[in-house]
Amino acid sequence: MVNDTSKATASRSGWGLLWLALTLAVLAVGFYHAMTAPTEATMGNLYRVFFYHFPHTILSFLFPYLNCGASLLYLFWRGSSRERALKADAFAVASAEVTVLYASVGLATGMLWARAAWGIWWTWDARLTTYLLLWLLYVSYLLLRSFSAAGQTAVVSAVLAIFAAIDIPICYMSIRWWRTQHPAPVFGGGADSGIDPSMYPAVWWNLVGWTMWGAFVLGLRYAIERRRQRQDAADALAYLGEPQEAR
Amino acid sequence: MTIPFHTLGQRHLVYAYCVVWLFQFGYGIWLAVQWRKTRR
Repeated sequence: MVNDTSKATASRSGWGLLWLALTLAVLAVGFYHAMTAPTEATMGNLYRVFFYHFPHTILSFLFPYLNCGASLLYLFWRGSSRERALKADAFAVASAEVTVLYASVGLATGMLWARAAWGIWWTWDARLTTYLLLWLLYVSYLLLRSFSAAGQTAVVSAVLAIFAAIDIPICYMSIRWWRTQHPAPVFGGGADSGIDPSMYPAVWWNLVGWTMWGAFVLGLRYAIERRRQRQDAADALAYLGEPQEAR
Repeated sequence: MTIPFHTLGQRHLVYAYCVVWLFQFGYGIWLAVQWRKTRR
């Protein structure tokens, strides 16, 4: 039984390393295309930030839905299936952490681009404000999980995750609903939107590469959380098994 | 295959690339450390 478990773990680690190698190869191709894509007419080379800003922003809209879905499943299963609920909770933590990671990169690259293109680091534009709110919501989710000592931490954070997900469609649609400082959508933004087809390889290779990287860190973070849960359960059982006078 | 590094000729572009790699791979390394720490 123990042998089977360690074999399964070794097999998963092997697939994980293979996935990581493939991801790094895709990211390297994406980097090459980002460097060799033609220079943009108005912004020059500065527009190359887009090849990293775009995938990170798009993915930071995707991971919160995984967090919300896992939180809903946690609330659904917590009364009936403890093991499934714990898995859902571990997945919720992992996806919230990856959301903060991707949103942080999206914010930082956006601010650097804004500084060079507009001459300002920040403006209270509709997209920027709702995106900062998104980042703050998921940071507060992680802080709640880290510092809450109550036994209901998982339940409270699951409810917060459901409310936090409401910001995602507002943030995503903000550049369609309100025309403020942030540019209109590059893809699907109407007749004048889009980029030159010669820039497509840099966009798509990076989008695929950062999606693969996101899946990798999400899976690894989930596995770490599951280990912690098992360790906590083992510690609790060990504590209960100790004689009264030893406590 | 040569990479035209001259296309990185913008200070803020270089900073943005550094942010991406530092955040992402920094987090990856932190996860690897946690993975080792939580090993039984």
